[in-house]
Amino acid sequence: MLKIYPKTNIFKPAMKSTTGELSSIRQAFGDTIFQLGSKNPNLYVVSIGLRSSLCLDKFANKFKSRFIEAGIAENNAAGIAAGLAKAGKKVILASFACFSPAINWAVIKQSICYQKLPVIIIGSHTGLMSTDLGATHQMLEDVALMQTMPGMQVYAPLDATETKLITESLVNQPHPAYLRLVRPQTELSYPPKLHFTAGHSQVLRRGTQATIIGYGPILNQALSLDKKYSIDVINCSSLKPFDSDTIIASVKKTKKLICLEDHQANGGFGQTVAAFLASHSLTFQFIHLAINDSFGTSAKDYQQLYSHYHLDQSALIKAIK
Amino acid sequence: MFNFSPPPSRLAPIIKSLRHDLVDTVYQAGFGHIGGSLSSLDLIATTYLSNIFNFQKDHFILSAGHLCLSHYVVLAYLNKFPKRLLKTYASFESPLQGHESTQVPGVEYSSGSLGQGLSFACGLALGSKDRHTLCLTTDGEHNEGQIWEAVMFANKYHQGNLINLVDCNNVQLGGTTQEIMPLDELASKYLRFGWTVTTVDGHDPLAIEKALIKAKESTIYPACIIAKTISGKGISFMENDPNYHDVKNLSEDQYLQACYEIDNW
Repeated sequence: MLKIYPKTNIFKPAMKSTTGELSSIRQAFGDTIFQLGSKNPNLYVVSIGLRSSLCLDKFANKFKSRFIEAGIAENNAAGIAAGLAKAGKKVILASFACFSPAINWAVIKQSICYQKLPVIIIGSHTGLMSTDLGATHQMLEDVALMQTMPGMQVYAPLDATETKLITESLVNQPHPAYLRLVRPQTELSYPPKLHFTAGHSQVLRRGTQATIIGYGPILNQALSLDKKYSIDVINCSSLKPFDSDTIIASVKKTKKLICLEDHQANGGFGQTVAAFLASHSLTFQFIHLAINDSFGTSAKDYQQLYSHYHLDQSALIKAIK
Repeated sequence: MFNFSPPPSRLAPIIKSLRHDLVDTVYQAGFGHIGGSLSSLDLIATTYLSNIFNFQKDHFILSAGHLCLSHYVVLAYLNKFPKRLLKTYASFESPLQGHESTQVPGVEYSSGSLGQGLSFACGLALGSKDRHTLCLTTDGEHNEGQIWEAVMFANKYHQGNLINLVDCNNVQLGGTTQEIMPLDELASKYLRFGWTVTTVDGHDPLAIEKALIKAKESTIYPACIIAKTISGKGISFMENDPNYHDVKNLSEDQYLQACYEIDNW
């Protein structure tokens, strides 16, 4: 006999907030492309079978002929996106990062990047923030995969507000680009009146003890640290190109660079920045808070995972001291 | 007395001279994917030179980038670039790489990794519905799963402006396609996937022209032309031999023998 469960048993990912308002990054993405689609009749979305998870329903229902559903076939979908871009369309290729760019990396390299086609690749559900989905869905290698690709730009918004700004900016630029999104609702921490410019980062908190760089919602842990810690917190949402001037100026002052990322240390943003600064003859202490050569695992709350992998506030405090 | 043999195509003498250009290029460079280039030459040359399509607006995507030699000699014949450039094939600073790229005038897609071009062609056809998009794939390339993803996609979107030319020479790098991954009845596979299918002798320009016209007329279904070809076509010691999938250095004797056989074919 079929057992009917009461509605209250339906699982919802746990969300914690230290500063208040929560908002969904992927919903902001879906809303933004819907708005852009109304203004731009040349905007296409290629979906890889994850329409509702990427919040594409509004776009799909309104712009039927510009919503291309390629099914669960990442390689073909990347090729379709490339061909449409070659025909002069502005194309968004949307999936989870553990599938695209993970499965179709070689197609992105040859059919999109080498052809210099301005496809925007959306990798959602990145990092340990994919919680209960487990290791196969917690994409921890995407920045490494994408920043190594010649001519590919890489972006990771801090919150829903910045997601809207970056998405709007990407639609008007002529390069292939990767946009890294996360699954849960996260805190709104991007200053409301701040603009976004590719290649620029923002110092969201100022101090003298250490420079903390990072990208995506994990950076909220640094922003919400007790005021007694005097730190520069730099939001590096533009990972490639990255804003070296801002980071250099800060590290010259603090002599200590801490990179916090929900990604593997190997091939991560921290390594890129540290190598760059070292090649500019800067002397500084470098602490990389990232996943150390291991896979993720399921949890109900990403804070559990952050403390397990030493990416939480106590790890940050230890690094600052 | 009746003469049953068809009249020779007006393209035959042109293609013969292109076959010479191709072998000259490989001999000079000391490198080249000669087996498949010789099997696809009649197909590519007829597609470009028959005037059935207008490549000022229609698209040609070479998915199997290693067959670039046959594409290069045709593009040089059409004066897309000076013929002397063929002498720089695969050398430093030449646009004519070992797998073709869009640096070459007339090339619309940079290829090399097999199985990707048909998806690109599907996207291009979807974005330019008033034009035809032709794609050249090979039988060996059909090992790639991405090809079948694209085959399903073209059926879903009723891509009547898409034509896939499949160079079926039965040979790939490591052996025969039958040994490595049997395709068996490729035509019925395409039919079952919702495509219009024609099978032709891939070395008969007149038959290829007829198939192209028929494929162009298929405006609802994507069209597949299965061209039965011979790897290394025209040079007896290369024909059907996987060892001539690619060559390093052709000896002078081999080169002269090849030239002689092309002349007397």
